[in-house]
Amino acid sequence: MSVRPMPVASHLIEVRLRPEFADAEGAAALQLLQAQGLTSIKEARVSRLYRIQGPITANQVQQAAKDLLCDPVTQEHRVVAPVPAPLNGMNFWRVEVWLKPTVTDPVGETVRTAIADMGLPRPDSARCAFVYRLAGRAGKPALEKAVTRCLANPLIHDAVVSEAHP
Amino acid sequence: MKNPKVLILRAAGTNCELETAGAFRAVGGAPELVHIAEIKAGKKKLMDYAVLAIPGGFSYGDDVGAGKVLANQIRHTLTDLRQFVRLGRPVIGICNGFQALVKAGILPHSNACDQTASFTFNDSGKFEARWTHLRLNTQSSCLFFKGLPEMIELPVAHGEGKLVLKSPRQLEDLKKNKSIALQYVTEDGKLMGYPHNPNGSIFNIAGLTNPEGNVLGLMPHPERFVEIHQHPNWTRQTYRKQAVGLEMFKNAVAHAR
Amino acid sequence: MSAPAAAPAAFGVLDKSPKELRALGDARHLSLNDAEWAAVQAHFKGLKREPTLAEVETIAQTWSEHCKHKTFTSPIRLTEGKKTRVIKNLFEETIVAATAAVKKSWCLSVFEDNAGVVAFGKKWALAFKAETHNHPSALEPYGGAETGVGGVVRDVLGCGLGAKPVLNTDVFCFGRPDYAGPLPEGAHHPSRTLRGVVAGVRDYGNRMGIPTAGGGIWFDDDYRLNPLVFVGTVGIMPQWAVAKDVKAGDLIVAVGGRTGRDGLHGATFSSANLGADAPSSAVQIGHAINEKRVLDAILRARDKKLYRSVTDCGAGGFSSAVGELGATCGARVRLEAAPLKAADLQGWEIWLSESQERMVLAVPPKNLKALEAVFAAEGCELAVIGEFTGAGRLEVTHRDESVVQLDMKFLHKGLPRVERAATWSAPVSSKASGGVEKKAPLVLREMVAHLNVCSREWVIRQYDHEVQGGTVIKPLQGVRHDGPGDACVIWPYAATGDMQDYAGFSVAHGLNPDYGRLDPYWMALACVDEALRNLTCVGADPARAALLDNFCWASPEDPKQLGALVRAAEGCRDAGKGYLAPFISGKDSLYNQSKDEKGRALPIPGTLLISALAPVPDVRKAVTMDFKGPGNALYLIGRTNDELGGSLYHRILGRSGGEVPKANPACALDGFKALHAAINRGLVLAAHDLSEGGLAVTAAEMGFSGEFGARLDLDELARDPRIYSNETLLFSESPSRILVEVKPEDEGAFLRHFGKGAKAACVRRVGQTTANPILKVVGLDGSTVLEESLRELKEAWQKTLPAVLK
Repeated sequence: MSVRPMPVASHLIEVRLRPEFADAEGAAALQLLQAQGLTSIKEARVSRLYRIQGPITANQVQQAAKDLLCDPVTQEHRVVAPVPAPLNGMNFWRVEVWLKPTVTDPVGETVRTAIADMGLPRPDSARCAFVYRLAGRAGKPALEKAVTRCLANPLIHDAVVSEAHP
Repeated sequence: MKNPKVLILRAAGTNCELETAGAFRAVGGAPELVHIAEIKAGKKKLMDYAVLAIPGGFSYGDDVGAGKVLANQIRHTLTDLRQFVRLGRPVIGICNGFQALVKAGILPHSNACDQTASFTFNDSGKFEARWTHLRLNTQSSCLFFKGLPEMIELPVAHGEGKLVLKSPRQLEDLKKNKSIALQYVTEDGKLMGYPHNPNGSIFNIAGLTNPEGNVLGLMPHPERFVEIHQHPNWTRQTYRKQAVGLEMFKNAVAHAR
Repeated sequence: MSAPAAAPAAFGVLDKSPKELRALGDARHLSLNDAEWAAVQAHFKGLKREPTLAEVETIAQTWSEHCKHKTFTSPIRLTEGKKTRVIKNLFEETIVAATAAVKKSWCLSVFEDNAGVVAFGKKWALAFKAETHNHPSALEPYGGAETGVGGVVRDVLGCGLGAKPVLNTDVFCFGRPDYAGPLPEGAHHPSRTLRGVVAGVRDYGNRMGIPTAGGGIWFDDDYRLNPLVFVGTVGIMPQWAVAKDVKAGDLIVAVGGRTGRDGLHGATFSSANLGADAPSSAVQIGHAINEKRVLDAILRARDKKLYRSVTDCGAGGFSSAVGELGATCGARVRLEAAPLKAADLQGWEIWLSESQERMVLAVPPKNLKALEAVFAAEGCELAVIGEFTGAGRLEVTHRDESVVQLDMKFLHKGLPRVERAATWSAPVSSKASGGVEKKAPLVLREMVAHLNVCSREWVIRQYDHEVQGGTVIKPLQGVRHDGPGDACVIWPYAATGDMQDYAGFSVAHGLNPDYGRLDPYWMALACVDEALRNLTCVGADPARAALLDNFCWASPEDPKQLGALVRAAEGCRDAGKGYLAPFISGKDSLYNQSKDEKGRALPIPGTLLISALAPVPDVRKAVTMDFKGPGNALYLIGRTNDELGGSLYHRILGRSGGEVPKANPACALDGFKALHAAINRGLVLAAHDLSEGGLAVTAAEMGFSGEFGARLDLDELARDPRIYSNETLLFSESPSRILVEVKPEDEGAFLRHFGKGAKAACVRRVGQTTANPILKVVGLDGSTVLEESLRELKEAWQKTLPAVLK
């Protein structure tokens, strides 16, 4: 193994559909969650979360986000702080579904190559997660259970359920 | 007269290139499958061709967004595309090719090549493969439509085909400069919702053209209707007799001659 | 559990007892039995050394059920009542024997290559293969189905010198999506399995640009823990590309995806509910665009004749791909040359990883430069990982370490054969019993809405079934493009580049585990019959049909299960011979049983899928199943017997037993051939086969798809004279029957194709079409048995699947 002189930067970029557009993916996810008994969940919106690691600066990641990951008409993007602040209220939830590190991530591979094609440094790795942003009261254990029943498969996915800002 | 050279643009995941080439060949074009990497490497030049076709498929898996990565490559690699368009040479983008043209800022036409429209997932939340009734905009000067009836049928097959616009005002502009090329309609020509409009596109738009009419982008697949036996009802006696898809390619080749 | 950190160079087996070896095997997911372990021990004792882990893994993989079909090729002692006989090799004596008996010159390659190959005209050949991906799909429905499609596509791409895939077909068996009973911890609900599998097939097929235009779904709760996912592909290639060969000195070239730990079984499996039957491959997510790159590059290299042989990396990864290609000459591999997903992979991991989207080529050294150029142009990775030798040995190294040193002969011929016991006893009583009587109209309404009959539009519309432009007969047919077609017809003009050649082909399937519950022998005949009659209905030539057999069974270690399997295989033999249709390839997937929530074994019903491929001489003559107009004559081909055993009618009434449908191949084939000739003369407006639900369901489907009605007279049916029940005539599932619509002016010409005497006896005019969309049936006594609105029946038929998937 080669020794790296610099710590590897890791960036998290979330790309969301703008609120004025209907979210068909979210509607489908909502239907699945409600079928698991979570009828108190009233809305679901789906976004993509990219984790980009390697010798690439925050500015370069911003450029990749703007020109590649995000659609200028329908989407907006933001850099995600690694640790979301804990909240109370249980009215808004965030579910991140990542492919496990051992599982191939085709989207991540495409992103990695496409970033290099833009003339930016080729990231060491790029991974893509689905983020489900849910509105509605729910208990965390029940939500976690429902997620493993319809949105994530523990065999290949790591799912992280947390409370969120609206 | 020599057969006009048609550049059929390929990339990883393009998958309708053979039938698109077949359609051009059938009407006297000389299609050539060219990988975008060959253009990037300078081995092939867009300006050497009379017609450009960007066929359907899942370029780069539609990862990140349908046609997005290809659109970026088109912006960076096909730098002479705007000139190609300005010279009035025919350009057709089908399905994924349409998505790429929109995300590359070629359609709807804007002077700065800004992207002013986009695609999101079909309202049904599913990939939809079905035949649709379409009404051509007889006001538009789209060269691909010459001699075609106002009402036609073509199949669609896509998951991200819902056309959306940056601002509602834009729709008026599109109407005004006759850029709406075709719309999803019912059999008797009415604008209706799903399943007639298979994806929920604004104003039932199925295809766009530029004001000059030499660029056409459309979600339906004309290359899948170049022979009457491709129509779903050909075993019945009630279908339209003309394979309208073929006519579009014929018009492009005729224009290029 | 992740893979162990360090693999010892030597893997101690020589001094271990059978029990210790078994434990070792379980821990490492090695599917070697006692006799096989003993053979391994003996071999290495002779060599005076311990094997390496990679060697044992290679042997286990090569000798696995997946690669060697041990059950089908090992001796079986079958006890039937008081009689006992020994079958030396079930595969040779049934499937192969049938193909040998019918001797068809248009079979270009059977059982040898990754797919079966038949001639398609003078210049072209069709490669056809169906695979199962059951265990992976049970664990991860989306990824399992995706990689299943990817695998069968590579089979076709790795057949001969490579065929271009032009059709995907997919058949699934699931538990009911509205199953409300208990499930064991970790098992997916059938509705999730269905959604995931459909999405996987959709995303992989659509991205690769292969039309998914054929298939079927069967629902039965006994599949709830072990869903079956059959994926099939047809490819087209020039006839010169059918033969392949490897020469000593050829380079071993790995192309496509990189090798990673994702393809190692055991690495991703620890939490799975699998019981004793170890998975044959790991759970992975597919990368369709990588496979498309491989496909584009390989076909371009093929046409430049840059390589001599090709095969895919399936189960066993490089070990089986290189092992297969080098089986006769030998191979030397340097694993450090393989492109990796993670740099820290060990030698044995690279050698055995089943990472997706990889293929192996045998390339003459002088062609390497040109080959590299082709692959670079497609953005597809390529690496020379070794060469084929003349030494007859498999020699694998990783950096300076020896990983495998094996004699090819031992590897491929050293598998010890173990005799297995099987029993079969014929069902005691064939009398039907139990259940509640229901009126015919009510039965019909329940039938069209039944999960095994209802519309599959929810699934089919998600598949791009028209990409490549050749789907001239579509899976959904009729006025509103939503009726249930018997089969699709593909006109592969985009692949051949010849729009003047109207030759096409069709693929159809036969599957009915309910018949198998009564008698697997007759199930096999019924399956072949169903596949052939579906083909005939759309205009394919039944005399040119080639078959694939796919057996999915529970554990063959249970003598009863094995006996039933023998019975089904013997049915295949007699069907192949009887219908003069050769088997060209096939597959088996055994051990499809899992422990339910109470720890009891839940086996699947013995399931046979027959897939048939036949040319359509002129696609412009093809026929759909929807009624075309009022006032046309309706002819029923085939005789109706009292055969309600295993029928949908019995299922709806809750009745058991009864006579299982028994096909008569000679008679059936006469009818199919006559109908084919009539279709080719343009004398047939519509044709639809009779299957689940019998005549009533078929007539209803033709009616509501064409939006015309029909009037049928049951007294006109060619039938067993002992039948006095209208319900039997309406709902019996006697095989070989097809309902046909003919213009009044063509009736004479149509009938002439059926000849005279006994042959003609099987075709009768049973009614006519009407303008009003109502299905009216007159019973034996002249009274009206049924008068149903086809609009309402269609609504019921369409509602079921979307409703249960809400």
